[in-house]
Amino acid sequence: MLNLQRWQTIAVIAFTALAVLFALPNVLPAVVLDHLPGWYQQSRINLGLDLRGGAHFLLEADLRSVLNERLTNLSDSVRGELRKQQVPYKDITVEQGRAVNVLLRDESQRAKAIEAIRNVDPSLAVSGSGDTIRLAYSDQDLFRRKKEVIDQSIEILRRRVDETGTIEPTIVRQGDDRILLQVPGIKDTTDLKRKINQTAKLTFHLVNEDVAAAGPSANVPPTTFMVPTREGMQELRRSNPKAWDEIQAANPRMGPEQICRRYQPQCLPVFKRVIVGGEDLDDAKATFEQQQGGRPIISFTFNASGGRAFCAATRANIGKRLAIQLDNEIISAPVVQSAICGGSGIITGTFTTQQTQEQALLLRSGALPASLTIIEERTVGADLGADAIRDGTVAALVGTGLVILLMLIVYGPVFGGFASLAMMVNMLLVFAGMSILGASLTLPGIAGLVLTVGMSVDSNVLIYERVREESANGRSPFSALATGYERALTAVIDSNLTALIAGVLLFGFGSGPIRGFATSLTLGLLTHLFTATIFTRMLLSFWVRWRRPTALPI
Amino acid sequence: MLWRPHHLIRARPNFDFLGKRKIAMVLSTVINVASLVGVVVFGLNFGIDFEGGIAVQVRAKQGTVQLEELRSTLGHLGVGEVSLQEFGDASTALIRVQRQEGNNQCVANADKVMKRRAGDGWGVKPGPAATGDVEFTAPRALDGVSWRDAVSRVGLTVQERQLPRGTVNVAKIEMTPEQRAEWCQQVAIKLVEDTIGNNYELRGTESVGPKIGEELMRNGILAVVATLAAIAIYVWFRFEWQFGVGALIALLHDVLCTVGLFVLLRLDFSLTALAALLTIAGYSINDTVVIFDRVRENMRRYKKMGLIELLNFSINETLARTLMTSGTVFVAVLALVLFGGPVLYSFSIAMLWGVIVGTYSSIWVASACLVYLKLRPEQLRIDEEKAEKAKA
Repeated sequence: MLNLQRWQTIAVIAFTALAVLFALPNVLPAVVLDHLPGWYQQSRINLGLDLRGGAHFLLEADLRSVLNERLTNLSDSVRGELRKQQVPYKDITVEQGRAVNVLLRDESQRAKAIEAIRNVDPSLAVSGSGDTIRLAYSDQDLFRRKKEVIDQSIEILRRRVDETGTIEPTIVRQGDDRILLQVPGIKDTTDLKRKINQTAKLTFHLVNEDVAAAGPSANVPPTTFMVPTREGMQELRRSNPKAWDEIQAANPRMGPEQICRRYQPQCLPVFKRVIVGGEDLDDAKATFEQQQGGRPIISFTFNASGGRAFCAATRANIGKRLAIQLDNEIISAPVVQSAICGGSGIITGTFTTQQTQEQALLLRSGALPASLTIIEERTVGADLGADAIRDGTVAALVGTGLVILLMLIVYGPVFGGFASLAMMVNMLLVFAGMSILGASLTLPGIAGLVLTVGMSVDSNVLIYERVREESANGRSPFSALATGYERALTAVIDSNLTALIAGVLLFGFGSGPIRGFATSLTLGLLTHLFTATIFTRMLLSFWVRWRRPTALPI
Repeated sequence: MLWRPHHLIRARPNFDFLGKRKIAMVLSTVINVASLVGVVVFGLNFGIDFEGGIAVQVRAKQGTVQLEELRSTLGHLGVGEVSLQEFGDASTALIRVQRQEGNNQCVANADKVMKRRAGDGWGVKPGPAATGDVEFTAPRALDGVSWRDAVSRVGLTVQERQLPRGTVNVAKIEMTPEQRAEWCQQVAIKLVEDTIGNNYELRGTESVGPKIGEELMRNGILAVVATLAAIAIYVWFRFEWQFGVGALIALLHDVLCTVGLFVLLRLDFSLTALAALLTIAGYSINDTVVIFDRVRENMRRYKKMGLIELLNFSINETLARTLMTSGTVFVAVLALVLFGGPVLYSFSIAMLWGVIVGTYSSIWVASACLVYLKLRPEQLRIDEEKAEKAKA
């Protein structure tokens, strides 16, 4: 049967209408878009960097050094612990990138040594025999740590690159140890690289409780300054986005006091004297309290000099608050419960697990955990991008025009016209699909679209040629159409699936702009299975019922 | 009715396609062997995606690009082999610089860039050990933060713990030789930028380090192999094994022919070229499948027909659509070749050639393979008997 059932017709029309709806945000003016819901505004195709201009970096994290450093620290801790437990040892060595080897003086002390090591880190994999003990991190632990390092690096990069909040960089993990950083709209990467190198400034200050107690009208002595809290800044961002934008865009950057004075977010008075700086912080992580129901807490460790300074300051200020300032914000101000000596401490509070993770990340974000090497860099100037857009558009329009012309000449205005209409609907579907996926349109992606134009009418060619054959065999117009569609279907599906295989593999193996090509080609091939078969069939069945032709004009 | 449709081919033609299969085989073999020899002898003109290195698109601030002058300036820069080509129009050019090794020449280049950008008091030299370490000197003592800004002038990103402690005027940055090699790409870009920046505007730069190049190459080869295998297996499952083998041989033929074109025209073999290869593979099989589909249908219908006759018959029956499907893609790709701009040129030319080769191979390679693979021996015998009769 050529005719579609009523529900099929409705489904086809609804599907097409939906595609129009989702492709629409690409062409709507900003004024209209602003009044529409956010999820709908999101349904747009992003221009790839090669079209809009910008910089693309692939960075590789040096995870091996991170591991070695960790092993060295471990060997130090083990050495200390063995000494404390009075277990004599000959030597403790680091096997680069693998393990720590402990050589005992006395084999009989093995059990005691292992127990001591368990105190240092119970998750270590312990092996070896006799007087040697080999300590390695478990695969699970290594994997988790790798992921942590990359996630942390991404977060730090985001803070550094997007300090102004206006450039919307794309920063994603790629593979095991890579980070892809894309920054649209910039051409000179020197400044960007300087930013990548830039460290966030982390400092610990005591809160001036006298001023804090006196309320907002208090006089601020010269030893003290006002610093906005993180919650305060976020509240400001919500309640007064304009002020937030002003702060982010200010050049030179505003100091914390200036922000407090001008915009009056929630601020805390803190002493200017820095107790410990971020350079002395070795690590911070989210964990759970041992007792009291295991509340989420943040634990941190200082290096030796940081530990001493911190010990002295906390001992003298029990019951007061200690503010942790990152750049221009106080990210947390916990109350000192007791003197914190021995180089490590915890921050308790009413945190959720997610909050502790975020805070730990922020604490660590002073320094990049692993050095990042640029292994691929591509920059495209905006005018080069504009050239590419122009070339791509012209090629796409001319290509589409030529294909339509060819179809009209060979299959006549009715059949050729329907196929061309279906092809254009197919383009619309591709645009809608890319909008929903939030895919990037690259120059190779445009090439993929042009190819899709050429390939998507191919299925109609197969069907039409079959219809011609059936017609020549003496079938009535209606029957020729019905059998043509039916019998051409296997060839249509087989021939397109092979191209789809190539498209999918290209997406899997390809990178960067090639993915853009694979995306548009694959989407186009998928959607055209719908337009070339069902959509044109619907048009033709309407046409047949309307004209009741005695011979097909094909 | 406005106008009547124009049939590409009026009635069903009756060409003896497979009668020419020996000529086709010779032709295909010659082209494929030539392509292979070309790849081995002349090599592919690998783009920086695979080779690593630097590509810079420049535009003359005034007038046209002075290729000769540029060539001699950049040739003596100490960045190794430099190649230039006009890119698009006469005022723009593409400069390609070979992959930089992390040797002492590169450190000397960094020294030059540092002096030019920061002043004569600055310097860069290799560290004392044979690792990748590099030593920076400044005219005055700097703290860690200032060092960080200073080294970014030569494109170096460093981690805090690599920076010197305290305020010093010599900073030793520890690096592995591999890290230094990656950084050296950045140095070369800066050097090129400094050297020609007065007269030329840099419109876009690309640098690919040694590591990523090798990886892209490996992935590329894997992608081609996987695609060919997947398509062949699909055809095998949907048809019979002879069809699968025929399709695979036709695919290999198309890919090799296209690679041959890259050798012959010295086209840039980049990631987009690879995309072209895979797309050609996916596309050229379209026509093949259309013919195979008809062959399968006719085999059920005409059990007494000779194999060659049946194949010829099927090819002739599907000839109009084979030409038309190729035609639509051909005109679309032609638009890309003519208007797609310089970036897509290699890709488009390859695709255009691929469409032609793919159509040819569907008929003379894929279908001819069915004869050589003895798809239906009993039917093949009918052909032979007929040939005998004709002779007698």
